[in-house]
Amino acid sequence: MGEEVTYRVGIPVLGLRGETLGRLEKILFSESRHLVTGLVVRSLESLHMIPLEKVTSVSGTEIRTTLTEQDIRQSSVFDPTQYEEVPPWFFPPGHHIELGALVTIKPLDIREQGEEACRSRRAFMAKSVALLATAIGVSLVVPIGGYIMAAATTPVTDNWRNLGVKLQDLPLDEPVQESFRAVSVSGWMRVPEERSVWLIRHSGAADPWSESEDQKKNLDSPLEKNDSDPRLTVLSPICPHLGCEPQWHKGQKLFICPCHHSIYQLNGNRIGGPAPRPMDQLPVRIAPDGSISVIYEQFAIGIAAKVRLA
Amino acid sequence: MGQKIIEYLDERVRIRALMSFLLNEPMPGGSRWAYIPGSMVLFVLIQQFITGMMLAFYYGGTPDHAWDSVNYIDHLTYQGVPVGRLIRGIHYWGSSIMVIAVGIHLLQVFLWGAYKRPREIMWLVGTVLLALTMTAAFSGYLLPWDERAYWGTIVGTNMIGLVPLVGEAIKDAIRGGVGLGALTLSHFFTIHTMILPTLFIILVMLHMVIFRRVGPAGPFSGTPEQNEATKDTFYPRQVLMDSLGMMGVFILILLLAVLRPPGLESVANPSNAAYSPTPAWYFDWIFQLLKMIRPEIVGVVGLPVLIAVVLIFLPFLDKKPVRSPFRRPFSVLSALTVLVSMLVLSLMAENGYKKLVDVDRAAMVQGQVVFNQSGCIGCHTVFEKGGKIGPDLSEEGLVGHSVHWLTVQFVNSKAHFPGSIMPDFTYLTKQQQYDLAMYISSLGRMGWPDPTKAQP
Repeated sequence: MGEEVTYRVGIPVLGLRGETLGRLEKILFSESRHLVTGLVVRSLESLHMIPLEKVTSVSGTEIRTTLTEQDIRQSSVFDPTQYEEVPPWFFPPGHHIELGALVTIKPLDIREQGEEACRSRRAFMAKSVALLATAIGVSLVVPIGGYIMAAATTPVTDNWRNLGVKLQDLPLDEPVQESFRAVSVSGWMRVPEERSVWLIRHSGAADPWSESEDQKKNLDSPLEKNDSDPRLTVLSPICPHLGCEPQWHKGQKLFICPCHHSIYQLNGNRIGGPAPRPMDQLPVRIAPDGSISVIYEQFAIGIAAKVRLA
Repeated sequence: MGQKIIEYLDERVRIRALMSFLLNEPMPGGSRWAYIPGSMVLFVLIQQFITGMMLAFYYGGTPDHAWDSVNYIDHLTYQGVPVGRLIRGIHYWGSSIMVIAVGIHLLQVFLWGAYKRPREIMWLVGTVLLALTMTAAFSGYLLPWDERAYWGTIVGTNMIGLVPLVGEAIKDAIRGGVGLGALTLSHFFTIHTMILPTLFIILVMLHMVIFRRVGPAGPFSGTPEQNEATKDTFYPRQVLMDSLGMMGVFILILLLAVLRPPGLESVANPSNAAYSPTPAWYFDWIFQLLKMIRPEIVGVVGLPVLIAVVLIFLPFLDKKPVRSPFRRPFSVLSALTVLVSMLVLSLMAENGYKKLVDVDRAAMVQGQVVFNQSGCIGCHTVFEKGGKIGPDLSEEGLVGHSVHWLTVQFVNSKAHFPGSIMPDFTYLTKQQQYDLAMYISSLGRMGWPDPTKAQP
C-alpha cells in the first residue's frame, strides 16, 4: 500500500502526451471489493469514467494517465442515477478524498426498477421484517410473562392445623401463645418452621371480650367470619404495623408491641400506637372434644384493610 | 412521535449514521437464502440466553434441589398453559437446533470456500464458537440432575480422565473432586450460565466485527465486476430472508417443545449400576466411534485433536484462492465423507440403544389403577411405598423392557425367571395388561408429583 493517496477534486487529468483531458469530478468505488476502481473525469462534452489501470500517477496538482483524447471520447459516460455517494467510513484504507465525492454503484434492484418502485418495495419488506420480529417477540414474551406470573400467583392452599391443645385446658381471658411446627413452601423448597398464635379463651358469647375487634369493625373475610367461635379468639402474632410480635403484659392486661409501642386490648383492639388496624383474628374450629384447629393466615402489614397475602 | 425520537437520538448518538452503517452493508452478488444459517445461529443463541435466564429464575443448583426445581418448572402453569414445560422445551430443543444450525453454517462456509484468505481469522473465531456450543450442550446436560444427566456426565468426564498425564487432574478439577457431586453441579452451572455466555458474547461480537471489516465473501462464482454489478445491501432483502428463516426455526422449536416436551428421569441415583447412559444425539457418532477404536485412549484423545487440527489449520493449508465447491472435489468429497460417516455412526449408535417404550399417557393413568387394585404393591416397592418381596420397580421404566416382555411377565413370570414366585395374573384383560405395561414403562421416567399443588 505504501503512501496515502489523496484525490483532490478539480485538478486536471492529463493524457498520454500531457494534454489536459478534463478535470477530476468523482472517484468510483467498488463497495464489495472495498477498492477504488476508477475516476470520473469532466471534459467539455460530458462526464467520462476511466478505469484506475489507466492512471499512472496521482499528485496534489495533476493526475497522469495513459489515455488519449480518442480514448476519452469512446469511454463510457458516467450516469449519476446509477451511482450513489457513500460516507467517509467507506474510504478504502490509504485513500483520502478532498472536497469531492466517493461514489459507488447502487444496488441492483434500485438500478433496475428505479428509486420510486424500489422505495415502495423496500417499505413493504421493512414492514414484513417488523411484523415477523413482532410475532417472534410476542410469542416469546407472552409465555415468559406467564412463566414469571405462574410462581407469583401460586395459590396458598388453606390447611386446618390441629394445635394439639384442648379448649378446656386454657385459662379464661388470659392469652396463651401456642407454637406449632409448620412447613413454609417456596416453589420447590419446603422448609419446616416454628409458628405461633395467641389463643384467648372466653366464658361464652356473654363475655365482653368474646367478640374480636375485627368482627366488630367487620374487617373479616368470609373464611374468618364462618369459622369463629365465641368461646375462643385466635390472634395472629404479627403486629399489623410493621410485622413485629406484640407481647402480652400480664399486669396491664394489654398486648404491647416492642418495636413501635402499638398497644392492643385482649380482643385485639388498638388503643395506642401507630398500627393501622386491630390485631388480626384467625379462623378457628373447635371439635366436640375441645381440640382446636386453626388456619395460619398472613395479612398485608401497614394498611388499614385486612388483606390476606396470597 | 417516532420521528421526534429519531431526531433526538440522531443529534446525540448519530443514530441514522449508525443504522445506515449496520444495515447498508454491501452484499456482493446480492442477497441469498444460502446466507441465512449464520443469522439462524445468532437467533437461536439469543433465544437460549433468554430462556436460560428464565430457567435460572427457578433453578436450584445443588443435588438436593436441582431435580426438584426442574420438576417444579415442569409443573408450572399459568391460566392452564404449561408455561414452565414450554420454556424448558424451547431451551431443550433450542440446544439441539443450535447444534444443527452451527453445523449447517460451518458446512455452508466450507462449501462456499468462505474461510479462505482474507477470512482465516473469522474462521478461527468460528471454530472456537463451535467448541463453545458443544461445551454448552455438554454442561447443560447435567443440570436437571436426573439419571440420564448424572450417568451421561460420569461417562463424559471419565473420557477427559483418559487423557495422558493431565487428564486425571483436569477431570478432578472439572468435577471439583474425585466423584460427581455438589461441586460438580456448581461447576457445571457456573460454566453453563456464567463462563460460556460471557465467552459467547465476546466471541460472537469479534466474529461480527471481523465480518464487517472484511465483508461477506459473496458467491463462489462470478468475477468481482459481476458481483459488484448484482450487489445488494443487507437491508432489507437479506434481513427479510433472515427474518423468515428465524420465524421458521422458531416455529420448529415451538412445535418440538409442545409436541415432544423434554423428559425428566428419576433423580440421579449413584447406586443404580444397572443404568445404561446414552449421550445426547449430537454426541452419538463419538460414542459409536469410541466403541470401535481400541485402545480407548486413541479415540478419546485422537478424535478431538484431529477435529481441532483440521478445523484450525484448514484455512492456512488450503491457500488456493479457488472457492467454487465444484472445482475443489477433494475437499468437498472429504467433507461429505466425514458428514456421511457421522450420520451412519449416529444411526448405528441409536440402533444400539435400548428402546424405551413410547408411553401412552392415558393408558398409563389407567395402568396405575390396575397396579393398585391388583395387589402389585404388596410385593413391589414404587417410590418408597410397598412390599419388599419382589424387586423395587421405581425405575423399571428405564430398564427398557418391551410391552410384550412386560405382558408375558404379568401372566407368566416363570417364562423369564424360572424360579419366580410371582403369581400369574392371568385374569387381567388384554386392555388391563396393556395399561399396566404402560404404567410400568413410565416408572422412573414421568408422572412426577406436582410440587405446585401438594401442600400438606
